[in-house]
Amino acid sequence: MSDQTDVLQGTLDLLILRTIALAPMHGWAIAQRIQQISDDLLRVAQGSLYPALHRLEHQGWITADWGASENNRRARFYSLTKAGRKQLETEVAKWERLSAGVNLVLQRT
Amino acid sequence: MFRDRRESDLSEELQLHLERETERLQATGLSREEARLQARRLFGGVEQIKEEARDARGTGAWDALVRDARHGLRRLVRDWRFTTAAVLILGIAIGANTAIFSVVNAVLFRRQAFADPDRLVNIYQNDRAGKPMIVTSYSAYMEMAEYTDIFSGTMASSIPNPSRYLHDGTVRDAVVEYASATYLKVLGLQPSLGRWFDETEVRRGAPLVAVLGYQSWARLFRSDPSVIGRVIRMEGVAVTIIGVGPANHRGTLDVGLGTDFWLPITAVPVMIPVAALRDAPTIFVPLFVKARLREGVTVPQARAAMDVLGRRLAAENPDQFGNRGEFAIGPGITVVPSSDVRIHPQADVPFMALASLVLVIVGLVLAIACSNLATLLLVRGAARAKEVSVRLAMGATRRQLVRHLLIESLLLSLAGGIVGCVLAWWGMRALQAIDLPFRVDMNVDYRVLAFAIMLSLVTGVVFGLAPAIKATRVDLLQTLRDEGLQPIDHRRLTLKNALIVVQVAISVLLLGGTSIFLQATAATKALRVGYAVDGVAMLETDWRFAGYSQSTAKTAHDDLLRRIEAIPGVESAALMSGLPMASTGMPIVVDSATGQPGSEVEAAMLEAGPGFFDTMRIPLLYGRVFDARDRADSPRVAVITEAMSRKYFGAVDAVGRRFRLQSDPNSWTEVIGIVRDTGTGDFEDDILDPIAPPYYRSYTQSGAQATTVLARTSRDAASLVAAMQRELRAVDITLPVITAKTMAQRLEESQAVPAVAATFLAILAGLGLLLASIGLYAVVAFAVARRSREIGIRMALGARSQQVVSSIARGVAALIGVGTGIGLVLSVLLMLALRTSSGSADIGIGSMTVYRPSIDPLALLAIAAVTALVGVAAAFVPARRAARMHPLVALRHE
Repeated sequence: MSDQTDVLQGTLDLLILRTIALAPMHGWAIAQRIQQISDDLLRVAQGSLYPALHRLEHQGWITADWGASENNRRARFYSLTKAGRKQLETEVAKWERLSAGVNLVLQRT
Repeated sequence: MFRDRRESDLSEELQLHLERETERLQATGLSREEARLQARRLFGGVEQIKEEARDARGTGAWDALVRDARHGLRRLVRDWRFTTAAVLILGIAIGANTAIFSVVNAVLFRRQAFADPDRLVNIYQNDRAGKPMIVTSYSAYMEMAEYTDIFSGTMASSIPNPSRYLHDGTVRDAVVEYASATYLKVLGLQPSLGRWFDETEVRRGAPLVAVLGYQSWARLFRSDPSVIGRVIRMEGVAVTIIGVGPANHRGTLDVGLGTDFWLPITAVPVMIPVAALRDAPTIFVPLFVKARLREGVTVPQARAAMDVLGRRLAAENPDQFGNRGEFAIGPGITVVPSSDVRIHPQADVPFMALASLVLVIVGLVLAIACSNLATLLLVRGAARAKEVSVRLAMGATRRQLVRHLLIESLLLSLAGGIVGCVLAWWGMRALQAIDLPFRVDMNVDYRVLAFAIMLSLVTGVVFGLAPAIKATRVDLLQTLRDEGLQPIDHRRLTLKNALIVVQVAISVLLLGGTSIFLQATAATKALRVGYAVDGVAMLETDWRFAGYSQSTAKTAHDDLLRRIEAIPGVESAALMSGLPMASTGMPIVVDSATGQPGSEVEAAMLEAGPGFFDTMRIPLLYGRVFDARDRADSPRVAVITEAMSRKYFGAVDAVGRRFRLQSDPNSWTEVIGIVRDTGTGDFEDDILDPIAPPYYRSYTQSGAQATTVLARTSRDAASLVAAMQRELRAVDITLPVITAKTMAQRLEESQAVPAVAATFLAILAGLGLLLASIGLYAVVAFAVARRSREIGIRMALGARSQQVVSSIARGVAALIGVGTGIGLVLSVLLMLALRTSSGSADIGIGSMTVYRPSIDPLALLAIAAVTALVGVAAAFVPARRAARMHPLVALRHE
């Protein structure tokens, strides 16, 4: 547990968009998925997940539809919109630039 | 609906998350209960997340507004003491503003709706200085109406006159305008019912008709359409109602004075109860003249035509235009577009100035109230600093907090506005309940309401914004750590202190004004009455209301007089016209006795009868009083007062000299006697304006109707009043009793005006003091709140509570002292200014007289004491709180 890192505020949007780019998912699943894929390195602060989802929805990058969850309950499934795909691309590009920059700084000093 | 569904969706979504999380944790081997708790812990505050999710969605400003409003309301209800004080302050200030505004609105802003108003002009005859006079004469109006090539129509209407009519068995007061047949047509208005009178009805001797004012129709006749054709008795004369005026037209002047009846101009000789005017060859009634310009005629063209007319009138009537003095007519005529005039060209500017001044003053009251409230809010802000810091630390943005605080103050100001409207409405009702001979129509119309709402919104933002910004500008760390030793504010000259000083000074000045009126009241009481009061009673009726003619009335009132003289205890009785000592001011021309044209002056006439001076015990100095020799066919005679003799005839004994009414060149009247001066019916006037000296004529000669029996008894005057009413009923049961009272009651009434003014000012001063003391309370409470830490340290170090209190008290005493001092100096300056004034102030169309007070040190001392007492009481509460503060509590106090 101690190796886990909270997802940075700014990167949560990117991770959510990337995660649901494959398939529509509901909130809990998104959080689980991020944790899984990052080999439990990243942990989504659950309290900030839903505000982020609602913000993204409000900005028009994702939409939500009701569907059945794995345990057969009603759940809101989030999926990317067209604008969301574009946003994902710019966010990825931004992230790559940022991490490349940070890496360079770390290596050369 | 939509919002509700979204809300339940959000709950469901979060619920699902928690369930899935619980299941996951259960799978790792936890018990169901442990898993549930763990899931919750990991998740955080559900409500907070909900709120953040809502915010993220930006669900709208509206939700946030409702939430903030609800929250603010809860807080305000909890701090009910603060809320009550704030709402009260605002209510008083906004109420005063609204009430004053509605008076100003009624008098100055309400515009009349005339058709094609651009072609309407007002016409005035000028005085000798070339300024428009208040009114125009009837004969001049008739000449103006001849200019049909310039005017498509000309109308005239008298100034509003008091009149009386019989309704439901009682005689009531009414406001009457005497108008031309063209009145409504020239204004471009239509009667709302029936018709206006036509030319055949505006003729001397024609049967009398009247048009009822719309408001009076609604008020007195409950909008009953069958009122058309009904006959009422006005001034005892039968008058047929033929129409109801336009709904939106209150009268010619429309200064809040509603006209009850319009009558033809030619009704004046019948209706005006002053006999001298009845006898005059021309109709003497001051008129306002308006005309409608013909198509294509300009105002300058109309002016040129009226110039010619003015010069011709002056040349044709040298006797009218040759006089000197205050009322002398000049040859000029003024023509101005009606839209440029509100009341009168000479009066508009001073009126507007006065109204603006009043509005500025009440505006200042509001400003002071707001500053007090801002201080209260600052106190509250200081007390809430910790709450604000916590919320900021929790991630609330400053904008949210400011919005929140602003909404609270808006709620406060709206509540204040509502209270203010209620107070204003209540105050206006109280004003209207005062028994005046006329009704000032002050409705709360849309303008007044808009004014009040705007006022409360503006004050809400203005007084709320600064404290809100200040309250949220906190040093987070310091306040939270509670280690901040706030710098102590030792400045004396802060804006808040200055405002308190101003408030105290204004209150003292108002109290000073009250003392002037109290002094005037005392002066009226001290004035020499000069006539009998004890044992004197009066009974006024009007024979015409019971259908008596001049000659049948004479028999009846002589009968009444004999019966009253026979009442046991009655020593003397007399008949007169009108009420004792109630005179009618009229311009007269005094014979210079040198052949020069006489000077025009104003004198006041009373119509007495034989026995009057004996009954009233007014001593005769020279000559004789009225007796049986003075009949309608004998030469006109008058008994004058010594003041009139000295002032207008320049002699102690003017017996044998002559004067006449300005309105009638054939009314030369000989002076037969000089009597001692007395107070008149209006004691306030006697102090303020003893300019028009009275003279007496006999009703037996002037042709006036004797309406009043005056009797003096050796017994109780009140029981004499009752006995006199019995005798009146014995003469004729249908005779209305108009006045039945003792002379003592009448005297008291005539002295009431300065007392009413004093009461009014005292109420204002009380409000001022209330506001000032709330302000003082707020400032002291603020200081205590800010210094609580310092106070705590000092007390922990061994300072006594007295020392703490005395340090606060020194500050308070300085504020009250400076304020009271300034107020007293201003009061004395005001009194000095009044004393050295000429005793009258020019207000454009005449002069307003002022009372010249003496400076009473005792009164000033009392004022200072009252102010100090109230101030100390206001400061006491927060100061005591500081003194009782436990050092530990004070130190912990942020």
